[in-house]
Amino acid sequence: MFDFSFQLTGEYVAFFILAVCIIAGAVLMISFNKVIHMVVSLAFAFIGLAGMYVLLNAEFLAFVQVLIYAGAISILMIFGIMMTKHDQVDEDVRRPWHEGIVAVGCLALFGILFYAIRSTTFPTANWTPPKDNTLEIGKLLYTEHVIPFELMSVLLTVAFIGAIVLAKREAD
Amino acid sequence: MGTWLQEPLTWTNFAIFLAWGVVFLFIVLGFVTYAIYFERKVIGWMQLRIGPNRVGPLGLFQTLADIFKLLIKEDTIPRKADRWLFILAPVITYVPSFAVLVVIPYTDSLYFTDLNVGLLYYGALSCISTIGIILAGWASNNKYSLLGGMRSAAQMISYEIPLVISVVGVILLNGSLSLRTIVNGQGDYFWQWNFLPQIIGFVVFIIAAVSELNRTPFDLPEAESELVAGYHVEYSGFRFAFFMLAEYVYVFAIASLTTVLFLGGWHAPFPFLTFIPGIIWFILKFMFCVFFLFWLRATMPRIRVDQLMSFGWKVLLPLSLINVFVTAIYVELFIK
Repeated sequence: MFDFSFQLTGEYVAFFILAVCIIAGAVLMISFNKVIHMVVSLAFAFIGLAGMYVLLNAEFLAFVQVLIYAGAISILMIFGIMMTKHDQVDEDVRRPWHEGIVAVGCLALFGILFYAIRSTTFPTANWTPPKDNTLEIGKLLYTEHVIPFELMSVLLTVAFIGAIVLAKREAD
Repeated sequence: MGTWLQEPLTWTNFAIFLAWGVVFLFIVLGFVTYAIYFERKVIGWMQLRIGPNRVGPLGLFQTLADIFKLLIKEDTIPRKADRWLFILAPVITYVPSFAVLVVIPYTDSLYFTDLNVGLLYYGALSCISTIGIILAGWASNNKYSLLGGMRSAAQMISYEIPLVISVVGVILLNGSLSLRTIVNGQGDYFWQWNFLPQIIGFVVFIIAAVSELNRTPFDLPEAESELVAGYHVEYSGFRFAFFMLAEYVYVFAIASLTTVLFLGGWHAPFPFLTFIPGIIWFILKFMFCVFFLFWLRATMPRIRVDQLMSFGWKVLLPLSLINVFVTAIYVELFIK
């Protein structure tokens, strides 16, 4: 279970660098006091995540992740922060026994995850990624999964029109 | 280039990649230096002035002197500014602007990478620069720069949408997001290039691209008469230089992208002209695009804020959607 032998390939190096990016982004997000700093570190974690997708041969998903999460959603959050009271700083509330309990909980969660991951045998099928997986995603989206896709687009259109109607009513 | 990309990553290959990266960085810096000189000269001539002519022969060293001035200037950080974000914002703005150049194919053999999602990569990374600009506006703790940052972010987001949708027609015609495949799909004669079959998409793309670059007539984020200088009011020295650099690197990127998507990349306009190497054709078309941007700047006045938003959402977006629709019908009826 505790046998961590692996070969040091470029993929591993990239994986560890990206993992550090994601974890650093997430930890900083929680430990910063100002909201805007939190958003920036969150965007950093999102970009690290996109890097992980690239490592997993999912380029399309990776750049959609950058476009939607690191780009659009972060900008939306920054806008939201600017419109509201952005000078507010989190007050440090000291509750000593809470921290102890949280630490025990975290360790237990880590133990469970570690045990579950290490005791699972992953199937090692020889799978070769298709040459142009973006094309394959497009084909699947419009043949096998066309109904969920259309439902999603109807839902988004409804939300979009709803937002316009609500904003219009407020303006009048 | 293509064969190296397939080889395993050894230290020699890494050194070769690094060397190419550095060479390319210097090419881009050289472009930026002389694009600024050229812009000032061209606009000067168009307005019956002379333009810079004092430093060096014909004023050729003017921009170098300006850059040197910026580098030795005192670097000021306002006391009330958010110090770390203030330092980080120019970096966040500049890095994506250089990173997007990776996917652009210059000739059939000279390209840095052939991503199968090249176009999406461009759109995604240029979005990150917006975060840098808006953070610069916020971190300066100055109401003018905040207004400039807000305007710029709102404008870049609104025009990003028609920009991306206007190229969907090109993607439909070629069936690929890879920029190299898109160039190869355009024919040998100039009327087979994408700008004629995709004329609506081309016009929408050009307008949205100029707006994306925050250049005249869409330079509202830096409207001098209203906002002092926009999101970089508080920046000085080399931090300011980084914002200007990012802006001109995006000029490079958009001009190359226009060449690749609509003007046939490295193809010659007629087959009998193919004895001239592809890189020359690429550079010629690229320079025409850059010149066109300067020409616009000398010709057009700035448009109003309310007109800007309604123009983007009510004119460009429907036009680009119609273009997608018409192209899809055409592809379904005639190509399939």
